[in-house]
Amino acid sequence: MRTFIRTVHIMWYRQIKRFLRARSRVIGSIVQPIFWLIFFGLGFSGSFRTVPGGINRNLDYLPFLVPGVVMMSVFFGSFMSGISVIWDREFGFLKEVLVAPVPRDATILGRALGDSTTSVIRGILILLLASVLAPSINLAGIPVVLVSMILVALSFTSFGIIIGSKMRSMEGFQLINTFLSMPILFLSGAFYPVQTMPTWMRAIAMINPLTYGVDAARIALTGTGVNSLMVDMIMLLVTSVIFISISAWVFRRTTIE
Amino acid sequence: MHVIEAERLTKRFGEVLAVDEVTFQVREGEIFGFLGPNGAGKTTTINMLITLIRPTKGTAKVAGYDVIREPGKVRKKIGVVFQDPTLDRRLTGWENLYIHGRLYGIPSGELRSKIRELIEFVELKGWENRIVQYYSGGMMRRLEIARALLYNPEILFLDEPTLGLDPQSRAKVWDYIRQIKKEDGMTIFLTTHYMEEAEKLCDRVAIIDHGRIIALGAVEELKSKVGNEIIYLNTSFDGQENIFIDRVRSLDSIRDLKVLKDGIISLSVNNAPETIPRVLKEAQKLGVEIREVRYLRPSLEDVFLQLTGKGLRDEEATFFDHVRMRRIRMRRGGRR
Repeated sequence: MRTFIRTVHIMWYRQIKRFLRARSRVIGSIVQPIFWLIFFGLGFSGSFRTVPGGINRNLDYLPFLVPGVVMMSVFFGSFMSGISVIWDREFGFLKEVLVAPVPRDATILGRALGDSTTSVIRGILILLLASVLAPSINLAGIPVVLVSMILVALSFTSFGIIIGSKMRSMEGFQLINTFLSMPILFLSGAFYPVQTMPTWMRAIAMINPLTYGVDAARIALTGTGVNSLMVDMIMLLVTSVIFISISAWVFRRTTIE
Repeated sequence: MHVIEAERLTKRFGEVLAVDEVTFQVREGEIFGFLGPNGAGKTTTINMLITLIRPTKGTAKVAGYDVIREPGKVRKKIGVVFQDPTLDRRLTGWENLYIHGRLYGIPSGELRSKIRELIEFVELKGWENRIVQYYSGGMMRRLEIARALLYNPEILFLDEPTLGLDPQSRAKVWDYIRQIKKEDGMTIFLTTHYMEEAEKLCDRVAIIDHGRIIALGAVEELKSKVGNEIIYLNTSFDGQENIFIDRVRSLDSIRDLKVLKDGIISLSVNNAPETIPRVLKEAQKLGVEIREVRYLRPSLEDVFLQLTGKGLRDEEATFFDHVRMRRIRMRRGGRR
């Protein structure tokens, strides 16, 4: 058990260190969502002043968009971390981890936690910056947003690790990324409400884990949402447990060949 | 005592038999080398011994533990330096060592002093806080050697430890390997396709080709199997030579004597350094002038040549080396 915790910790430490080294990437990953808010959010908020948010309530577009963009950044940051598994294979560090006399589950959990930590911190920073653009959002909801961010991050880092462990090339990962990340993002209610989607799209949105993260954050920050907060949290918890378990299972079978 | 015992170790990748019923023992405290061309099965053998891949057939015990049944215990007894770097290039040298030490459960305080000591040993002082990406190939290899020694392993595995290094870096790596053996009495298992490396470092060598061990023994022992040392004498041809030749032929260490053209005589002997003065003495007695003496010792290259009928480093091997080095250089230069 002590070995397990020590391993999780050191792998977490490694991911954090790497993140802090990549300054240009950190800045880029914060600036990009802010640009989305400004150029996409402000632009669209002129063309439709309000969106049907919840029952008997209408919401300006910008505060509607803030939780969506924040979750988008957490989603991208987490999911793209799967590519580091491929990098590690390419640069050999994966071997170093695979021969170490430590449980594989612990190394993969540490890695998922490390990448989750960085994308959650980034998400919080973006949220704080966004609150300047959309002052009507309720910052008292941050603790709830934080919990849902952590669960979204754990789900999608694990998801990225699963794909990264199965892929042998960057190009392969990018391809999968293109096929998955656009639908996941657009069918999550981040940019437009789930309620107004065509039925078939709504059906997909309902099995999309990101939908529940966006919804939870939107409830916490604006008071409007599709589901109850409880349903959102339970769904996120279940998803992250499933993805973490699958990633551990896949990584246990990973070989160097 | 044997610290590695491989018994008919076999690995098949689909149709390809990479390692074919390899049996050998490594003694405690020795440097044992696997010498062979690229693709001979050296790395596959190492990967089985360090529990990275499962043997198709056969067994091996490393430090007393079975590599199939007790891989966790084996891993705690060994240090490994892989053929290609396995460092995290985004981190500093110190951080790479720290993460490794923590993965192997060394307490933080002890680890810090151990890192300081090893950084000095591999002469990377002043570089430990720089990002590995900016290290040269030789420095990376040295950092990896330091890393493999952190945990005080019983057996150190080195897969092509000097592949692609410049001569100075290579000499340094050799020095470290000798020091490790001398000071810590550690058993070292290395693979190489440089026969010079095997000759200079190894106590015993197994020559491997197409997945099979074709010769195994001490370096001198293997060389004497191929044959003898050869002495070439450049003499004045003055008629007395026949007597001279008879006298020389009767020396007990001479196995064969051939008169070549222009007064050149070749002698096949067991022990050239002892034989040469005796031959010179005979020549002096008979007034035969000896203008030049040369002697050739058989190398492991000759051993390999005789056993397989081909050189250790044929065209193909150098081509693959070239490709590998290009890949490593590209990675070093490229961004992550």
